[in-house]
Amino acid sequence: MMRRLAAVLCLLTAAQRGVGRADEPPTPPSSALAKLLADPAVDAKAHAYFDALPARAHELTEKAIAGEVVTGAQHLAAILSLAMPPSVFEAAMEDRCFLCHSDPEVHTGDTLFSPDPAAGGHPKHMDLTKVVQDVHFRRGLSCAGCHGGDPTAAMDHDHPASWPTDSDRRHTDRRWIPEFCSRCHADSAFMRQFNPGMPTDQLAKYRQSQHGIVLAAGDSRAAQCVSCHGVHGIQGAKSPRSSVYPSRVPETCGACHADAKLMAGFKLPDGSPLPTNQLEEYRASVHGKALLERGDLGAPACNDCHGNHAAMPPQVASVAEICRTCHARNGTLFDGSKHKEAFVKHHWPECNVCHGKHSIARTSDAMLAPDPGALCQACHDKYATNNPACKATATYFHAELLGLSASLASFTDRAELVARRGLDADPMHDQLLTLSDSLKQSRSYIHAFDRSEFNQATAPGHASIASLVELEKAAEGDLLYRRVGLAIAVVLIALLMLLLWLKVRRMESGDR
Amino acid sequence: MSEQRPKRGLQAWLNARYGIDPLLDFLRHKEVPLGSHWMGWYFLGGATLFFFVVQIATGVLLLMYYQAGEATSYESLRYIVTKVPFGWLVRAVHCWSAHLMVASLIAHMFSTMMLKAYRPPRELTWVSGYALFVVTLCFGFSGYLLPWNELSFFATAVGTDSVKSVPVVGGWLLQVLRGGADVTINTLYRFFAFHVVVLPLAAFAVIGVHLLFVQRQGMAPPLGEKAAPRGMRFFPNFFLRDLLLWLGCLLVLIVLAAYLPYGPNIPGMEWDLGKKADPLAPAYPGIKPEWYFLWVYQLLKEFPPHVFGIEGPQLCLLAVSVLLGIWAVVPWLDRNARRDAPSPAFTDLGVAALLFIGFLMLKAWDLGAPAGVADTIRAQVAARNAAVLVVIVFAAVVVGRSIAGRRWFTWSATATAHAVLHGIGGVPYLVAGTVSAGAAALWLAVARLREGRQR
Repeated sequence: MMRRLAAVLCLLTAAQRGVGRADEPPTPPSSALAKLLADPAVDAKAHAYFDALPARAHELTEKAIAGEVVTGAQHLAAILSLAMPPSVFEAAMEDRCFLCHSDPEVHTGDTLFSPDPAAGGHPKHMDLTKVVQDVHFRRGLSCAGCHGGDPTAAMDHDHPASWPTDSDRRHTDRRWIPEFCSRCHADSAFMRQFNPGMPTDQLAKYRQSQHGIVLAAGDSRAAQCVSCHGVHGIQGAKSPRSSVYPSRVPETCGACHADAKLMAGFKLPDGSPLPTNQLEEYRASVHGKALLERGDLGAPACNDCHGNHAAMPPQVASVAEICRTCHARNGTLFDGSKHKEAFVKHHWPECNVCHGKHSIARTSDAMLAPDPGALCQACHDKYATNNPACKATATYFHAELLGLSASLASFTDRAELVARRGLDADPMHDQLLTLSDSLKQSRSYIHAFDRSEFNQATAPGHASIASLVELEKAAEGDLLYRRVGLAIAVVLIALLMLLLWLKVRRMESGDR
Repeated sequence: MSEQRPKRGLQAWLNARYGIDPLLDFLRHKEVPLGSHWMGWYFLGGATLFFFVVQIATGVLLLMYYQAGEATSYESLRYIVTKVPFGWLVRAVHCWSAHLMVASLIAHMFSTMMLKAYRPPRELTWVSGYALFVVTLCFGFSGYLLPWNELSFFATAVGTDSVKSVPVVGGWLLQVLRGGADVTINTLYRFFAFHVVVLPLAAFAVIGVHLLFVQRQGMAPPLGEKAAPRGMRFFPNFFLRDLLLWLGCLLVLIVLAAYLPYGPNIPGMEWDLGKKADPLAPAYPGIKPEWYFLWVYQLLKEFPPHVFGIEGPQLCLLAVSVLLGIWAVVPWLDRNARRDAPSPAFTDLGVAALLFIGFLMLKAWDLGAPAGVADTIRAQVAARNAAVLVVIVFAAVVVGRSIAGRRWFTWSATATAHAVLHGIGGVPYLVAGTVSAGAAALWLAVARLREGRQR
């Protein structure tokens, strides 16, 4: 008994010691650090952030203060306000480039990085918040990775050989940039250390792109790496904050292509000026609305048709293939149609003849209408005037689609009414799904421009309509059955009430 | 008289074994008092009981097919209303009967209030009736979640959330009610257990006590007519009338259930199955509770987040608790009725309660508010329309009661002034309430002072 008690006491003592160690207060800060932390510039949020950092981060901060690379409270407050993850904070506290160029007492103007460069009237690429969020900075490639020098030694500014030291040349002639980034990004062995899945052929593709060709010709207006990816603050392409994230691509491309001043002088192959309304048209298009308004990342942005690093305007031969990457069946149907031959003969780029390019609108059954201004009729009036069968087919398609569409709307309302009356509307809803699917299929089968193929798609829809008529009749029969049953019940209850009332009357008249 | 009747057949057989003659004698001699008031008020309790019986009967039928569970609750109910023969009718009757039961119970309670039937010796009958009112509301709240559809899920989430405003034990109570931090299938399991086991047992017990009191003491005669000059025999005269009313109720019930199986489509009175509950989906827009909880819902909305450092919902629940508490002990507060003397102040309190609750309900229903405008504008228009209706009802009550020689309107005037200041004057609800209550207090103090001087 005594032994057990002793063992329990030992365990309790050990546990107590363990608790004591865990609760042990951290090493108190040096007087220099304490002085900086006590300054009103370091707010409560910064204090809370600093307190939550691990001991190693505290040690490195002490070291940076002792080494006089962090000197003022403003400087410390600026660093703490960035709320870097502990590992990034520790790397930053050992990086003299970062520490020195973020110190407002050492640097000013174009060489000072601050959390709010706009407030000091400095360029926006000097944003310290963006710098610490940069994918390169977070993976350990800090300032020296691009600018050269030794981040552990003070005042070492040895730039890499490919870095143009002449500031004017660096900013006016951008041809050096693709080669400079490719020192790492074209080196598969190097890139494998960070992201084995990342392609390393960007430079090769870029050289073949319209941008690469124009830049190689000496025109520095052409987009290169930093035009799309940014400078300090580059994010991985899959990050929603990245300028090349799908929903931000139109805005990034539009920064140049919607700028009439910047695009002045560029021409299309036919010699006409390069338009600058693509962004505006795209925003209003079915694709633009899906991507930018509904946030559907499956909708195509500029790069899905034009390419990324190998960006080129699609040619007549390739544009239809690009559409087919998503709209595969419509393409296959078109390939087997009579129109294919005619389009090849006229050198027409297939899809966009009817649907447009950047301004692709939602399709409508009215495109097939037998009206002179409608799409099919207008084109045939111009190019195939002596072909009444084609017009008749378009009119047939139009009438069939309108019929299916009207039936879908009408039976949807009728199924709703059936459900509201408490009848079983599930079988009708099942048929409505089939009808809706058939309507969608039929609209796609238009691209075969052939009645028999089109009729295969409409057949399930017509079968559904027939079933819906029967189901509605059955529901009406059921309703009638209920109403008759109700009427009988009402009559019986009312009769019983009457008899009861008469009984009460007779009983009470007898009482009187 | 009973001694003269020959004892034979079943009655004699039963009497020999169970001594039922005293019970039959009691029934033969039991009378319902007739007096100056309308006799119809006596039938409301019976109507409520009828709806309760319908609830039990239809509830048992639903229970044969309903399966509580995340993958079965909604599906089984859908099966009931679409595939089970007359399943739609049983569910529609169950839902309609629930609403009609609450309506007749409230009417019964207010008739008791207006006629002062709660006066001695029937205080405990009032209290047991009050307990039945609470049980009925719990029935409504617990049954609402059982379809496990979007509307019921989010309404229960909002409804149970208000519990956390209870001081000290609010958080714990919320956990107990929901069976966790959020509304989950665990909530449905416990609501189901309450709805089909706990609450029916409680209801049977309290109904038993309530009926025992009524049978023991008889129905309350009109105020001031202690010795009722004449009475109606309970059996068979009153009982046959009761039966007639129940048949009428059944008639109304089946017609409503057949023509409007999913309710009249008024917020708080609709039970369309809709979509299955999805706890991850965004909250259902425009959630409103059942009509009998609407006034509390609207009152919660009228309270700002903080009032004098106290959380608004907390203060609101406190106010509701105080009002319901006062309602529960009315038999002891009404000193005039205890002396069997007219008690116009408490009649007026009943009218004021109706006006107060009615205004909040009408506002919550967005009475006459145009569609497609901002919510604040809708609320203003609804408040104005509700205030106008309150004024009309108040005017009718004043005229009617003045003709009957009654002059006590302080409480109903306060409720009307509250509605007018808020709905027509645009004064915030709480401020309007404080001003009206202050004016009423001043009015009563002056009246008391004058009374003292005259003496």
